[in-house]
Amino acid sequence: MRGWRIFYLLGLMVMCGLFFGALQDIHPFGEPVEPAMDDYFLERAQEERAVNNVVTSIVFDYRGFDTLGEAAVLFTAVTSVVALFRKGGHER
Amino acid sequence: MADVVHTAVLVLIVVSAFFAAWFRDLLAAVISLAIMSLMISLEFYILQAPDVAIAEAGIGAGLSTAIYMIALRACKRTRR
Amino acid sequence: MNPLSLIVRTVCNVFAWFMVIFGAYIIVHGHLSPGGGFQGGAVVATFIAFLLVAHGGKRLLGWVKEGLFSAVESTGLLIFLGAGLFGISTTFFYNFLAKKGGLFGSVVPLGSNTGVLNSSGTIALMNLAVGLEVVAGLSLIIVYMFKGIRLELDREEESHDR
Repeated sequence: MRGWRIFYLLGLMVMCGLFFGALQDIHPFGEPVEPAMDDYFLERAQEERAVNNVVTSIVFDYRGFDTLGEAAVLFTAVTSVVALFRKGGHER
Repeated sequence: MADVVHTAVLVLIVVSAFFAAWFRDLLAAVISLAIMSLMISLEFYILQAPDVAIAEAGIGAGLSTAIYMIALRACKRTRR
Repeated sequence: MNPLSLIVRTVCNVFAWFMVIFGAYIIVHGHLSPGGGFQGGAVVATFIAFLLVAHGGKRLLGWVKEGLFSAVESTGLLIFLGAGLFGISTTFFYNFLAKKGGLFGSVVPLGSNTGVLNSSGTIALMNLAVGLEVVAGLSLIIVYMFKGIRLELDREEESHDR
């Protein structure tokens, strides 16, 4: 038990070093790295899809397949909870 | 002023996360986790993502707290 | 869970409905304001958790019907998939209702404006569908978890008798 604690401490120090190393060249807040795609959506969303909320137009239209995956994940979670807690589910 | 509020919210996130791991009473830990979720939702709002803020406030502070409470009914209230 | 005091139950009876109204507002205005089906559904599902905490599990289990929730959840997912499949002549998830007139097809003016409620084609329809699915699904999780926990507690008491 006591021997493992040294490894935990070493791992923590390595993780801290990596995080602070990555913090040295962090991108400034609020400036997107590659704004071409953002500009495309902001210009086209209102006239193409007739929607004011660009975030919703991306979530449900341009990237609707991702939302289908999200809905499927929720459906699977509900199914597993119902299968786990169903009445008489684990009678021996 | 905005920087002060932002820093206070970030500090509160870390403090409530620490208390969620530190409390022996699991009910207090769950409430501390709910406060952490609320602060994270405030942080999302400050970072101008109101969509994620609503989702975090509904799921994190509302539903997951209720689910943890239901789960706490079936086990011992304090941690070993 | 046992019911809480009369004060908590009265406050729940008065104010729980505002949570439903707010969640429905978030779902219906998903294409105009921040939020959408998932966020509004989570807010509405908090209503069931509120009822469970305030009125106790025995009365809640008398009110809710799990079969209805299950059917609503499946219906929401099927409407979502169907709205994606109907645009298959162009691409999967193509917005085939936008700017066609009718219930969902108004044209919005360009630039910043206050928004038109019956615009945005399948986006509003998918918001409603995902909202139905999330409301029913999260309520179903809470109700079934409570039923399972109650089953567990009952069996524990039985085993103590032996």
